[in-house]
Amino acid sequence: MAGLELLSDQGYRVDGRRAGELRKIQARMGVFAQADGSAYIEQGNTKALAVVYGPHEIRGSRARALPDRALVNCQYSSATFSTGERKRRPHGDRKSCEMGLQLRQTFEAAILTQLHPRSQIDIYVQVLQADGGTYAACVNAATLAVMDAGIPMRDFVCACSAGFVDGTALADLSHVEEAAGGPQLALALLPASGQIALLEMDARLHEDHLEQVLEAAARAARDVHTLLDRVVRQHVHEASILLGD
Amino acid sequence: MTVSQPGERLCNLEEGSPGSGTYTRHGYIFSSLAGCLTKSSENGALPVVSVMRETESQLLPDVGAIVTCKVSSINSRFAKVHILYVGSTPLKNSFRGTIRKEDVRATEKDKVEIYKSFRPGDIVLAKVISLGDAQSNYLLTTAENELGVVVAHSESGVQMVPISWCEMQCPKTHTKEFRKVARVQPEFLQT
Repeated sequence: MAGLELLSDQGYRVDGRRAGELRKIQARMGVFAQADGSAYIEQGNTKALAVVYGPHEIRGSRARALPDRALVNCQYSSATFSTGERKRRPHGDRKSCEMGLQLRQTFEAAILTQLHPRSQIDIYVQVLQADGGTYAACVNAATLAVMDAGIPMRDFVCACSAGFVDGTALADLSHVEEAAGGPQLALALLPASGQIALLEMDARLHEDHLEQVLEAAARAARDVHTLLDRVVRQHVHEASILLGD
Repeated sequence: MTVSQPGERLCNLEEGSPGSGTYTRHGYIFSSLAGCLTKSSENGALPVVSVMRETESQLLPDVGAIVTCKVSSINSRFAKVHILYVGSTPLKNSFRGTIRKEDVRATEKDKVEIYKSFRPGDIVLAKVISLGDAQSNYLLTTAENELGVVVAHSESGVQMVPISWCEMQCPKTHTKEFRKVARVQPEFLQT
């Protein structure tokens, strides 16, 4: 896409944001009554839905049961209408399997699995509209859903993507910025302790710039945490009012 | 009524002791659930800090817990059951358990016949002795006076009345059937 400036001279991006600015985030918890926990998040135009079941007995082969911890099972699926061109396979293809694995790694770090030995926790994430930052939206939605299900967690897991254009680190990339081909980094952070749950990048970035991009992603993840914190507080407050506490 | 979230630092280990919904790290107590913070002040001991949710999350059977289960199939060596209640809380999804022949009674363990102790469809009070290993389910025992069959139906379909620790009688046909009957405490019986 020649001629499309990802970062203008005045410091504005394609959609008018500043370099470190996030897209508008709206989230809701407790979307489905039949699941143990559910949440819906919109990050700009990226919309993701997460549903959590568990902890329950291991389904299928009992040999996979871990004697001291719970098994976390994640499935990522993106709807056929989520991208510009209709997708042929919603799940089961390589990218979905890889995303599922990454989500599993992320949540095994955050959920206190020792409290539920020999059981299974299922996290299903569905992307309804993909406009960049799908991993981050999935992680944020899944965090809210796990909290809605009442599964004990060490901390929130907040994720954000970051890129590098013209010597500046950009936070929360949209599809246009991702498709431009620059380096992109996805970071999942546990905000209270500052620990990194997952850091993923499969492009080439000079190591001198890594610090800057990582810092931008971490700051953006902390901003996401502030927003999600408010959503959870409001949800708990509303739930307790309904019960007349 | 303060709302607390996972990862929120609640207090020092010197000011409180961790309760349910919390975990400890580096000498501080952190919350692990999104819910209401409660501090129960005991007299003398440290207050117990815990985070409560309005709906109790899925309870898992723990070793030593009394569970209510329904017998699904029997064998000459063991009886397979579905665990329905843990204590007095119902489970949303039932778990599978096994009562081995040697765990049915405390005395004369080798002379036990499963057919004379349980039948499919009986409601049994049992205690969890083990979470099981890679291949097996929860292991349960009824080797106590208060554990065993509480509700059973006779072959004619009527609910039976217990006569002794090993026999129950059908009120309609007056036939006696063998079961390992639980001695339910008088305060739990509804008259």
